[in-house]
Amino acid sequence: MLEHLHRRSFLASFGLAASGLALGIVPRNAHGGAAEWQPSVFIHIAQTSLVTLVCHRSEMGQGIRSSLAHLLADELGANIDQVKLLQADGDPVYGDQNTDGSSSIRKRYTELRRLAAAVRVLLTQAAAKTLRVSAKSLTVADGIVSHPASGRSLPFGELIDAARKLHPIDPAKAELLPRSALRYIGAPALRSLDAPAYVTGAAIYGADVRPSGLWIAVIARPPVVGSTVRTYDDTKALAVPGVRAVVRMPDPQPPYAFKPWGGIAILADNTWAALRGRDALILEWSSSVHDTYDSTAFRSTLREAAQKPGTVRRTRGDLEAALAQADKVFEREYYVPHLPHVPMEPPTATAIYREGRVEIWASTQNPQAVQKAVAELLGIHAAAVTVHVTFLGGGFGRKSKADFATEAAYLAKHTGSPVRVQWTREDDIQHDYYNTVSYQHLTAGLDMDGRVTAWRHRTVFPPIRSVFDASANMPSPSDLQQGLLDLALDVEHIRVETGAAPAHVRIGWLRSVYNIFHAFATNVFIDELAAETGADPVATLLGVIGPPRILSLEDLGIGALGNYGASLEEHPVDAGRLRAVVERCAELCRWTRQRKRGRALGIAAHRSFLAYVAVVIALQQREGRIHIDEAWVVVDAGLIVNPDQARAQMEGALVFGLSHALFGGVTFREGRAEQSNFHDLRLLRIGDAPRRVHIELVESEAPPAGIGEPGVPPVAPALSNAYFAMTGVRLREFPMAKAFGFDR
Amino acid sequence: MSLRIKVNGVLHDLEVDPEMPLLWVLRDVLGLTGTKYGCGQALCGACSVHLDGRVIRSCVTPVRRAEGRAITTIEGLSATGDHPLQRAWIELAVPQCGYCQAGQIMAAAALLAENPEPTDDDIDRSMAGNLCRCGTYTRIRTAIKRAAKPSAPTEGSP
Amino acid sequence: MRSRLEPRSACLAAPWIAVLLGCEPSPSVAPDLPPETIEIPPSDLLPKEAFAGIGDPVVRSAAQFLEATRVLLHPRCLNCHPAGDTPLQGDFGFVHEPPVVRGPEDRGVVGMTCDGCHQDDNVPLANVPGAPNWHLAPISMAWVGKSPAEICEQLKDPLRNGGKSLAEIVEHAESDELVAWGWAPGRGRSKAPGDQKRFGDLLRAWVEDGATCPTDGEHP
Repeated sequence: MLEHLHRRSFLASFGLAASGLALGIVPRNAHGGAAEWQPSVFIHIAQTSLVTLVCHRSEMGQGIRSSLAHLLADELGANIDQVKLLQADGDPVYGDQNTDGSSSIRKRYTELRRLAAAVRVLLTQAAAKTLRVSAKSLTVADGIVSHPASGRSLPFGELIDAARKLHPIDPAKAELLPRSALRYIGAPALRSLDAPAYVTGAAIYGADVRPSGLWIAVIARPPVVGSTVRTYDDTKALAVPGVRAVVRMPDPQPPYAFKPWGGIAILADNTWAALRGRDALILEWSSSVHDTYDSTAFRSTLREAAQKPGTVRRTRGDLEAALAQADKVFEREYYVPHLPHVPMEPPTATAIYREGRVEIWASTQNPQAVQKAVAELLGIHAAAVTVHVTFLGGGFGRKSKADFATEAAYLAKHTGSPVRVQWTREDDIQHDYYNTVSYQHLTAGLDMDGRVTAWRHRTVFPPIRSVFDASANMPSPSDLQQGLLDLALDVEHIRVETGAAPAHVRIGWLRSVYNIFHAFATNVFIDELAAETGADPVATLLGVIGPPRILSLEDLGIGALGNYGASLEEHPVDAGRLRAVVERCAELCRWTRQRKRGRALGIAAHRSFLAYVAVVIALQQREGRIHIDEAWVVVDAGLIVNPDQARAQMEGALVFGLSHALFGGVTFREGRAEQSNFHDLRLLRIGDAPRRVHIELVESEAPPAGIGEPGVPPVAPALSNAYFAMTGVRLREFPMAKAFGFDR
Repeated sequence: MSLRIKVNGVLHDLEVDPEMPLLWVLRDVLGLTGTKYGCGQALCGACSVHLDGRVIRSCVTPVRRAEGRAITTIEGLSATGDHPLQRAWIELAVPQCGYCQAGQIMAAAALLAENPEPTDDDIDRSMAGNLCRCGTYTRIRTAIKRAAKPSAPTEGSP
Repeated sequence: MRSRLEPRSACLAAPWIAVLLGCEPSPSVAPDLPPETIEIPPSDLLPKEAFAGIGDPVVRSAAQFLEATRVLLHPRCLNCHPAGDTPLQGDFGFVHEPPVVRGPEDRGVVGMTCDGCHQDDNVPLANVPGAPNWHLAPISMAWVGKSPAEICEQLKDPLRNGGKSLAEIVEHAESDELVAWGWAPGRGRSKAPGDQKRFGDLLRAWVEDGATCPTDGEHP
């Protein structure tokens, strides 16, 4: 039995008004007493008929709170307007809470519907008993169980006493409502439940939690990975009014995982004093083995590796022979630098340490990871760490890492004060868990008709695993499932090879992860093959994908496929679905006709997180700049619970992908990140974003696939391909800004 | 140092460093957390508030500049939270993560106050300072036009 | 790019240079060298005294103005005297980021006014420069892409200089706070050459000597 501090007393003693927390945190085992029935950790029903739905996944703009609430309410038979939403703390009772991998709906869709169905069935049974009628004669809608024959009805609230006495039902056996009875799931415009809080400033994000006595910490961080504080002088820092303490952070040892990132913390009454205090620190840093990390030099290192034979990870046919016999051999190389997440809200977490227990508020994508990491750092039990999840001002994968929360916990324990660690934008850009840097070498053998008979893809990149295992320098199979092993190719002879590359910075996962550079290389390469053979890019793309078919492991040339944690039965590699989005996208943008008229269009398509997405981008020259004029996105993500949110995710992924392609990422010189804020790490602004965007969602009853990430990978290659269509010049790396007329 | 400022119609007497950026006065001293920190360098617009109705980036504006003038934050844009922009933002489901939206709305409010029927170019120019990492720009554009002319049909997706 | 001379020979050039370089007192009689042969660091500005040796006031006046254009053509000044509708940034003429436009009164447009971000002083800890009345010079006062001769004519023309008399121009150069910022631009920014006093003195001397302009093609 887990012990926990009751939320109310904690809040009262620390001056937090319950109403100020727009999310309304629900702690574990909060028994509402007789007045509330909790048949499931996700569903609570009060005597007043108020239905409380608990969201166990973090809200970072993907609309998961609204989507899950609508899903549960729909199956339950409640009206969304009667629903109160609560955000779950970190607790294994909710299952996996890592909001990552575009998985919140696709992994729990059926299970959550069955939970809600089971509750509905119990309520129906309770009503049947109370009204002395058969359960079959009852209907459920808007939180009321009705008996149409007699005109009698009972709201949920009046049924909970009877319902809680019934024998529980196995959700796996609960019958789901038929599609025709659903009114929320799949409806075109579900209400965004949190929008009112966002537009009035009431939504509480990580830095908006203000326990009384709070100290705010800003940390001077090691400029190079592996360097530590050699000496420091904090006299001037301590003299800044408002500064309360200076604390040396523990130096992280590899593997870095989610440990605090070292350096010197300045703690103050307010953020301004902390910032000034940090600025007044005089610090000397030790040298580090990574002092020589230089992006230009490392690019050559990666390139050399990509040009040599590597470890074979996918093989079909006899590549060497096929290349030797090919009429033409065509080779190209592609480079993508480290990409940073830069969520609009830089990482931040607030912690209170008391008598061996920690309470944390964090804009985290993974509260259980915070529990584990803090427990490990402080040598306490994970159950002694309470993690409340606030709204996230963007995540994109940065906030699944618990490091910023461990920093807050460390300082809270060390000082005895409530502590908020505030990462500045400079911290965020210079000390990120970057998407990895990659170099790829592709080789195709073409026959006399321009058909691809051989395909070799070499990819070299420092893997994410390096933060968990310092010696890791090779991609794992789960890395390679992203756009390499699951790539549908109608090519007889295939080989995919990987090379070794060590990490010199913390590497992490970033919205669509390895798919970003794999999709870039493969889609631009295919477009290059089209140009080489004088063929239409759409025709070439469809030719390489091949006819509609399900690709078996044997077809792919692999022994196993992680498949994003899904079975191949439920989510096969379906070339037909990939073709379909390509064809539909070409149709939507009137590809052939527009190109005849001289419009510069580029296309790309990719399967990632089990969804299939095609993107076409149109460019236009105007006033010395090349503008992104229009874009079309066609998505097949199976059954979509919240179509408007899915559209929003695609609109957003487009901008996200364009920012990276145009402005690139973070480069390193002498071990240090060269960029520091939005003047040199640029993001797309409204004036450069396409004004006309067309998103089409394929109607499908296939199992739900991912939504948050799949929109990203096709964007950069579509942009590069459109640029080629306009200028005849091929862009094979990020950033592309200068080519588009930006001056830097 | 004692300073008097008016925020959302309420007078506050503060004992603060006059050079403290208004952003931190609002958030840390007055507890008005609707205005956000995004960059600290006037590059992202998340900290946008009104000073006598004009947009300023509070992260670089020293609080002394606000003395004797009226500050409006997102919390004060409308007493009932239904400024036409807020309504349009909700109707069109503009916010994704929502973090930049207070700044977006404050900038848009200043734009509409001066220019009730902004063109796309006007929107580009006046909203250029407000970054959105989630990429809600097409909806922001549509929502500004809808707030400007609630009855007219608006172009652009969705 | 001007380079530093050997200290000893430079010390002999003129008494004022000796003072500048902190040299030992020079012999009482030192030849006055023509200013164009004197080399000083790019961050410095020749004082008006260096031109005293030019006998002809027409030539002397133009030479003083030419020296003053080392300030006018420095990025700190040039960036806000653009030929188009956007200010520049940095030392390499990059377009201002975030993107801003001139607007009807050279002060930006709603939502993106100059004073929305720029304060009356450089902001500590942020990279935003500031001075009172931060705004763009009107397009008639664009200096980017202009030669010293063209700038001189422009400066003297009341239709293009905001209706100022020569005396007012000198006063503006000597005492305007936004002009002063060029020598106190904040962390990480290169200063204009010399200082405001020396710059003002050069322009005053230019006017006193007849406000003649350098010829086409002359550069400092």
